[in-house]
Amino acid sequence: MKTWQRSLLASCALLALFGGAAFAQAPGAPPVEFPYTGNRTAVWIVAQLHILFAAFILGAPIFVVISEWLGYRKQDPRYDRLAKEVMKVTVILYSMTALTGGLFIFVLLATYPQFTTWLINHFFLLFAVIYPLLFIGETILLYMYFYSWDAWKGDKKARHIALGVVLNLIGTITLFVIDGPTSFMNTPVKAEGISPAEFLATATLWDKIYNYSWMPMNLHRLVGNVTFGGFITGLVAAYMYMAAKKEDERAYYDWMGFVGNLIGVGALLFLPFMGYLLAYELCDYDASICPYMMADQLSMFFEMQGAMVGLIFLASNYYIWLSMKRIEGVERVRMTIFAPIVMVALPFVMTWGWTMFPVPDPKSLAILVPLALLPVVLGRFIPITVSSRTVIKIGFLMVVIGDAIWLTPHGFVPTGAKLVADLELPSDWNFLALMPAKNSAAFTLVFVTVVNYIIYNRAISQGTIVWGKIDFASQFVLVFLAFSAIWTMGLMGAVRSLLRKYFHTYNLLPDFTPESFTPTLSYSAWWITAITVAFYVVVSFAIFVTLRPTEAKAHAPGGSPAPAGAK
Amino acid sequence: MGNVIKKIVVGLIVGGALFGITKALDFPTVFQLMFVAYALLGTAVFLLLDAPSLKPVGGVKAVGALVVFYVVLCVVYIAGASLWPQYDPEDEKGKIEKILKPKRAATEQGKAEELIARAKALDEQAKALAARIKALGGDQASGAQASGGPGAPPSTTGAAGGDILKVGEDQWQLQECYNCHKLRGEGGKKRGPELDNIGSYMTVEDIKEKILDPRSWMADGFEKEYEKKKMPDKYKDLMEEKDVIALASWLVTFKNTSVNTPKPIKKK
Repeated sequence: MKTWQRSLLASCALLALFGGAAFAQAPGAPPVEFPYTGNRTAVWIVAQLHILFAAFILGAPIFVVISEWLGYRKQDPRYDRLAKEVMKVTVILYSMTALTGGLFIFVLLATYPQFTTWLINHFFLLFAVIYPLLFIGETILLYMYFYSWDAWKGDKKARHIALGVVLNLIGTITLFVIDGPTSFMNTPVKAEGISPAEFLATATLWDKIYNYSWMPMNLHRLVGNVTFGGFITGLVAAYMYMAAKKEDERAYYDWMGFVGNLIGVGALLFLPFMGYLLAYELCDYDASICPYMMADQLSMFFEMQGAMVGLIFLASNYYIWLSMKRIEGVERVRMTIFAPIVMVALPFVMTWGWTMFPVPDPKSLAILVPLALLPVVLGRFIPITVSSRTVIKIGFLMVVIGDAIWLTPHGFVPTGAKLVADLELPSDWNFLALMPAKNSAAFTLVFVTVVNYIIYNRAISQGTIVWGKIDFASQFVLVFLAFSAIWTMGLMGAVRSLLRKYFHTYNLLPDFTPESFTPTLSYSAWWITAITVAFYVVVSFAIFVTLRPTEAKAHAPGGSPAPAGAK
Repeated sequence: MGNVIKKIVVGLIVGGALFGITKALDFPTVFQLMFVAYALLGTAVFLLLDAPSLKPVGGVKAVGALVVFYVVLCVVYIAGASLWPQYDPEDEKGKIEKILKPKRAATEQGKAEELIARAKALDEQAKALAARIKALGGDQASGAQASGGPGAPPSTTGAAGGDILKVGEDQWQLQECYNCHKLRGEGGKKRGPELDNIGSYMTVEDIKEKILDPRSWMADGFEKEYEKKKMPDKYKDLMEEKDVIALASWLVTFKNTSVNTPKPIKKK
């Protein structure tokens, strides 16, 4: 896609934004009725697609710049090539973000004109001035960053990296800004003793943006975007590895898959805690959100989330395992025996610990931190070691146990109201369904993954890694991770939106349409899958059109990836 | 192959042991099966760990393999989500309709809709009357009007004017109070106190005050800082006063002294 085409798309999106704002001022427009899907699902599809594209174009540049910097610092051209190839895909998907963003506004205005008008009026300065300016700024910076890649190399590389940092700053601010109205819909400003409508009438724009769930959502999305970008990079690598015909290409894309997975998993480790923080703030805002989310209408959505997160952790650790298999000399790598001991003890000790001292009690850390550091401290004084293979296998066992704890529900019912003894955990074992157990399971998954990466790093430093010789199954693991990450994003996005119950804006603006009810998990799964597939088709196409020509132009001087420090 | 069989046997033994243990511990059947499924998942994982390497494929074969892989993922995720117990939206639709009806009526659009509905009803009533006058004569027509024909306007005496306790019980269900409070042995997850004996401690006015301002009263034993905000401070905006009074009037009838309802303490 050429520059003018991209610019046209971006202009269309802006036009849609301004046109939408103007249209919203015209009262009395009757809402349209989307056939088959209904209005709510139509908005859901477009919004989710927009968020998926936006997540990638905001998340990918973060590690693109880091990768470019690493290439510059280590003088390793692979990092620079990775950064540039991911950026090529990002530029195409940037256009799709703008396109779906414009479409989102049109669909929203056509289906919920009164609500959209109301929201735009409350955030008029943000929607009409701040966001468009940031969007224009980001567009200019993104294209400048991409098109100055070859021109600003050698001595000018630092300048190019600085430009990338500015791009990321603007991108992050854009994310934070648009999170304002989004989080406001979940947790509108309120004050004790004053009705939300009264308080809203006197609230400033900043009051509305800086609501209960704004910062937790910012952090959750920021980390989620990096995770997402990492796994999509893994997907790019998997596609290209499968298509590669030369050994050196296969070696490069094997390495790229490893880096993508490392970024994805590295950020993923923080994601459960960011999600927990967001859920904590939502529950703190209104305690009735908690049972709706965890025990009643949406409880099975969280079961599915547990299954997905468990599978993602299993797959990411399986990728490490497959990577280790091709390292020559890996059998020499050993680790202190206290690492597997802590792995095994973690879910049980922490379930007890967090039951005694619930989060956020500072004492909850008094048990966790010493336990997690035990292998480092005791390992220095008691030199008993076990093979890396044994540690990883115990790790897998604990990932399965962690998944099991995470998945075990209080009852096999869609709502607490339908709980009967035949479908309920025995009361003595009810602790398995409570937050301390779930948190300890999440921490076990994180701990095992960290230990596996430590082993992997030791294996790389002590042995010889043979790039390009990885088990072919690993490429399917990368594809699986990307698909599952996107699916989980869709699922949790649906959960966050559904938390508003029968309100457009929680407790403030009711949704009087007949669609304001909680859909079934099965219905949601169909649409989440459809959205994921639609996104995948576009991303696969973007990878195909952007990276395939690289092979043909490999010898063209301007397009070839240059070593980071080359002049 | 021997290694594979060994792992399957170990997996089956672990699954069998989990089934037996959970059965002995009186876990419901569905949980027993779930623990067996965990054992099978573990077996599958350990079989995968030592599975032989996959030979690389490219071109059309790779594309075909990818498409099949995606189809499998889609089927597994949709089927997996559909296997969990499904919430029936019909359970919620009626409640939402009841809650939103007065709010909709209060909006400009709601008022317009109500006026249109009334106009339609009057129009139909007039047509019916005209038809009866034409067919039967004036006396019978006035009798029909007195008894309320098919087009008679809806009654203005709602449940609020009738059984206040029934309205109170309805509000208990509509506001989903049972999610946190146990009553008559149903609902509650220990988030809030059991209320079977609340009538022995509080008056209608006290309960109303507690609903509208949750921090005005605290149950004995529910005074930790993180518990103070457990009851949402939103019912003053969501409920009409008559509904709050109805709910309080219904709750005050519960005076079952055999249940240990914690004593409420006035805080404001």
